Amino acid sequence: MVKKGFEERLPFKRAFLNNKTRNPVLVEELPAEFILTTDARLRSRFPQEQSLFWFREPYATIVLVTCEDLDEFKNILKPRLKLIVQNDEREWFIVFVSKAPAHNDQATKMAKKVYAKLEVDFSSKKRERCCKLDINAPEANFWDDLETKIMECIRNTLDRRIQFYEEEIRKLSEQRFMPVWNFCNFFHPEEVKRYGWYIPLYYAAANLMVEESLAFMFEIAHLHEDALREYDELELCYLETGAQRVCQYGWKAREFGGVEQGDDQATLLEPARKPLTQIVHDDSFREFEFGSIYLPSMLPFCMREVWVITACLALIDATASHYKDGLAAPDVEKEFYRVQGEIYTLCRTKFMRLGYLIGYGSDIERSPVNSASLSMLPWPKPAVWPSLPSNASSEVLAKEKMILQDSPRHKHFGIQRKPLPLEPSVLLREANRRRASLSAGNMSELFDGRPNANDSSGPLSPLPKVNSVSMSRTFSSPGNFEGSIDRPMRLAEIYVAAEHALRNTISDVKLWESLSSIEKFEQKYLDLSKGAANNYHRSWWKRHGVVLDGEIAAVYHKHENYDFAANLYEKVCALYAGEGWENLLAEVLPNLAECQKIQNDQAGYLSSCVRLLSLDKGLFLTKERQAFQSEVVRLAHSEMEHPVPLDVSSLITFSGNQGPLLELCDGDPGTLSVTLWSEFPDDITLESLSLTLTATNNTDEGAKAIKSTEAIVLRPGRNIITLPLPPQKPGSYVLGVLTGQIGQLRFRSHSFSKGGPADSDDFLSYEKPTRPILKVANPRSLVDLAAAVSSALLMNESQWVGIIVRPLNYSLKGAVLHIDAGPGLRIEERHHFEIEKHEVGTQNMTNLDNPPENLSPVSTGVKQLTLEDGKIKLPDWTSNITSVLWIPLRAVSDGLAKGTPAGFKCLRLLRRTIAVHFTDPFHVSIRVADKCNDGTLLLQVKASLAIYDAWLDLQDGFAHAGKGDGRPASSFFPLIVSPKSKAGILFSIYLAEASAKVRFSLFVLYESVFVERQAGLKFVFPIHLTSADEAKELQPVSILNIKYTISGSRNLGAHTPVAEELTGPDNVKAEHLTFRSELVLQRPVLDPCLAVGFLSLPSSGLRVGQLVTMKWRVERLKALEEKVASDNLDEVLYEVNINPENWMIAGRKRGYVSLSTKQGMRFEDRDLNIMPASGCRICPPPQLGLPNVDEANISCNPPGPHLVCVLPPPLSSSYCVPA
Amino acid sequence: MANTACFMIVSKNDIPIYEAEVGTVPKKEDAAHQHQFILHAALDIVQDMAWTTSAMFLKAIDRFNDLVVSVYIKVIHTRLMLLHDSRNDDGIKSFFQEVHELYIKTLLNPLYLPGSRITSSHFDTKVRALARKYM
Repeated sequence: MVKKGFEERLPFKRAFLNNKTRNPVLVEELPAEFILTTDARLRSRFPQEQSLFWFREPYATIVLVTCEDLDEFKNILKPRLKLIVQNDEREWFIVFVSKAPAHNDQATKMAKKVYAKLEVDFSSKKRERCCKLDINAPEANFWDDLETKIMECIRNTLDRRIQFYEEEIRKLSEQRFMPVWNFCNFFHPEEVKRYGWYIPLYYAAANLMVEESLAFMFEIAHLHEDALREYDELELCYLETGAQRVCQYGWKAREFGGVEQGDDQATLLEPARKPLTQIVHDDSFREFEFGSIYLPSMLPFCMREVWVITACLALIDATASHYKDGLAAPDVEKEFYRVQGEIYTLCRTKFMRLGYLIGYGSDIERSPVNSASLSMLPWPKPAVWPSLPSNASSEVLAKEKMILQDSPRHKHFGIQRKPLPLEPSVLLREANRRRASLSAGNMSELFDGRPNANDSSGPLSPLPKVNSVSMSRTFSSPGNFEGSIDRPMRLAEIYVAAEHALRNTISDVKLWESLSSIEKFEQKYLDLSKGAANNYHRSWWKRHGVVLDGEIAAVYHKHENYDFAANLYEKVCALYAGEGWENLLAEVLPNLAECQKIQNDQAGYLSSCVRLLSLDKGLFLTKERQAFQSEVVRLAHSEMEHPVPLDVSSLITFSGNQGPLLELCDGDPGTLSVTLWSEFPDDITLESLSLTLTATNNTDEGAKAIKSTEAIVLRPGRNIITLPLPPQKPGSYVLGVLTGQIGQLRFRSHSFSKGGPADSDDFLSYEKPTRPILKVANPRSLVDLAAAVSSALLMNESQWVGIIVRPLNYSLKGAVLHIDAGPGLRIEERHHFEIEKHEVGTQNMTNLDNPPENLSPVSTGVKQLTLEDGKIKLPDWTSNITSVLWIPLRAVSDGLAKGTPAGFKCLRLLRRTIAVHFTDPFHVSIRVADKCNDGTLLLQVKASLAIYDAWLDLQDGFAHAGKGDGRPASSFFPLIVSPKSKAGILFSIYLAEASAKVRFSLFVLYESVFVERQAGLKFVFPIHLTSADEAKELQPVSILNIKYTISGSRNLGAHTPVAEELTGPDNVKAEHLTFRSELVLQRPVLDPCLAVGFLSLPSSGLRVGQLVTMKWRVERLKALEEKVASDNLDEVLYEVNINPENWMIAGRKRGYVSLSTKQGMRFEDRDLNIMPASGCRICPPPQLGLPNVDEANISCNPPGPHLVCVLPPPLSSSYCVPA
Repeated sequence: MANTACFMIVSKNDIPIYEAEVGTVPKKEDAAHQHQFILHAALDIVQDMAWTTSAMFLKAIDRFNDLVVSVYIKVIHTRLMLLHDSRNDDGIKSFFQEVHELYIKTLLNPLYLPGSRITSSHFDTKVRALARKYM
């Protein structure tokens, strides 16, 4: 009853309220609502939040009491009232309701008494806090009284709140100048709400910016920006309290209460109202009407959203039209654009919300940004959700049809994702619940109506957030849509209802128009997105801009404007990819790929597919990843117009195998084993593959590629492939780039490891050091070839020449030895070559203490090899051991063999000439001794010989004494000659033409001698010349024949010649070798006519380069016979024989000396300047010969060849500093 | 403890190297995108703010409806970002400090390549424990 009475008086007329400057303002009409203290809205707050939400608190508490006797008053009512008023800081007053009937005086009296008591207890002089309502007989002035009291309460409350806010603002402003202040401090919603008052300031400042004080503007704009973010919440408060006009300027008092046409528009933003400079100068923002009178009234549906949209649009228009580029400092400008972007975004969000409510939700891209913006924003909370107008059945049908027709767009590649939500909770449920909870105080409302307590769980509400569209279908039952309050509304009906409600709310024609059809909606949506994106792009906030670009792209995409869409998508993808936010990238990239595919941008499409494949595996299903791969493979095998290289660095990674790196010698080929990791979901065939090797020590050279010739199928995961490796230069190598072909496409992978930072320019991030995979050693000898023996071998016999093949830490597998015999050498190809293991011990056998006979064969493992084309393949078992290859060779000439160049070839050529010394078994030299010829034979080989026979074929003029066959007594043979022994064979000969016979005897001298390094066998031929007849020289030389066998080891030197397969006891003789050596026997000078004497050289000796004079003395021993030509009897022709290697001659070599024919004439001065030409040596001096005189007539002194010693040249002292 | 809390470490190249939903409400598929999106967008603001203050802990630097982004900026510009709905600033600060220490320990691991994803399960366990402790 009381309530009804109250409500009849509403709204209050002509209320005087104080504004911020305490000036009374006349409010023509003040809407108000009476609610019970049990009302849900009052309970909705947590106690600690209450001070922060004063807006929503009631302005006055009216306590209705009734009481009928004093005792009751004293005992019950008074304590309770005290309790109420003490605990309540709010304004309060008491209405005493007298229920006493008018006719009952007793009761009336009692009521009066109680009321008087009440007044005493609760009213004060200053303040009347009680009034009395007589139900049965209302006093005429009661209502006025009540109204006055209410008004007073409201005014007081308002004053207190203003005070509170001003205090807060002051406090925060002070903090703002403190060093650690930042905007975050303002993020408490309630604080921001306070700053929400400054929205008009922003406007003022934004205008100012173009006029004068930019700095000032931003000081304020900072405040605004936070305000804007919080604006939703702020707005909610305004609207709930009916204070949407909070932003009206104070200089123009507006009516309070009620909603007029246009009130939904943010009227404050009409710049024409007042010059802004004036506002600022007047400090007029203090004049803002604190025009909120907080008695709630019913507001149109979505007032808040509509208001924000119009406010934002107006703000944008106003500032943009005033702003000119370049007027502000760059950072200020950036800031300006950022704020613009924020406003656009806010506007866009609200616009989407409206669009969703009237059924355009299916046209809103369910992207992360939209989902985040909308799904976390609570639905509008009108007191009552609008209900369906009665005549809207056709519209409902249309919407129903729209819902049915709408099918969720399928993503490319058959990607199926649960769409991101756009709604904080299912709209259907929300709307129906709001409808059902019509009455205040409803219990469900009490719980669900808590605006903020569960806000955080809004997006995570327990309701399953399935696609609301599909959900709605289960609810909708077409054909039955006559509005009934009891029946829950179907989705289509909600849309239509919202549309109708919005039509009432929105007064802005343009705004309504853009919501009128889906095309218009999209256009506006696009405009807003573009506006936001552009402004963000011009500010520092690139990420915001790019994200919005993605939204624009989605619109283009839907409208099949793939070109634009692809461009924009690419920007988004580049951002996310660059920063590695793969979850977000995975949302956009399929769209980009689809656009590229439709545009036939094969290159782009291909790279998108590859990028999709490279994303984290968890982001897509295997099936989807397989789809990506099949697209890649399909494209790769198709004829692309412009084949592009494919970068698969993230898909195919590679590294060397674990374990030791491959070490190769210079020039060797090898096999490289590489691990490839394939991130492809399926097997993939690589038509070809090549890997570059980069030398770590040498950057000049380009990397070399090694190729696999055959196709390789990579399984997902780890694969090990082997590649043939051609010879590389020395150095160590790391893997460079992997290239190859998939189908027609060249692909390339340069990565070493995945997941590393893209750039690493600071000291903390470093590249994982790449492990070398291959090391090629510097050139070195891989094998050593040497002659197995240093001592001489037998001439003219086939001998084994040993070559020691020693691998130097290197495998000789497959090695081929080329053998090229040198001049004068012949390889006995009839024989097999032999190879055996070499043992080091044999190298030390130069010590001859061990008789060669005792040498056992070094190895029994002798293998026979055959020479083919001058090449010998070494058997594998020799590849790592030192072996000896025995080559049968024969020195075919009498000349000394020089050696065999033997090329050793294994992968590359090693040329090695091996000197092999062939020699005769004996060396024979002759020296002339007193009255005897003394032939000395040196045993030149390291072996023991058995001489079976020896004979001397004498030259003419000599004859054997005795039996005449020239053989010594056979009983001496066989004569075994060891390298340590010296033996002599004595032949007895005589001059055949002389009458005197010479006895001969043969003796063998057997004595041990030590010969340095070489055992020598000396054959001495002491020949006594007893007669001296001239002889015809038919056979100019004597020949010494010796038949012998040799028992040497081929490991040491001369040995039995290579067998001719004639072994057997019968052929023993055939094994005897024959040695022939010439001996020149000289007849003694029997009839000397001239004597040539060599005068001794200076005692100081000869030096190289020193000129010496050599003198000979020529003496005629007897007169020449008459028969000699007498032309120049006294002239003797002479000639100096020199060895030009040893001597240089400075005078005449040949000439005549006059020598009288008389006996005893001497010529002493035939001197010659001679210079020793080289070296320190002992050499025969020049000899003076007399060509015209028979040798038999010349007696020489010294009689035989002799030697002189020549010293090396004196040291040059030219550069020596004297001490 | 916070209902929703998404913790992320972003390397100096803006690459997320660690991500964990540490709220009590079980993670939903949708939320992952939203949280990532919000944190990514907040990088714009962090970028602006980082140079205006010497403080490492930037409390509630960005706000998205009811969710707040707090950031802890390390000297080498690695950012610890937390999207949360609780208002327990001190707890969050302590959380950041302890995670910072953990992260430094991870960096000291010679097998960890700075700037790469943190995959250590030990790290993950610890972070979650810290989140339970402080939020």
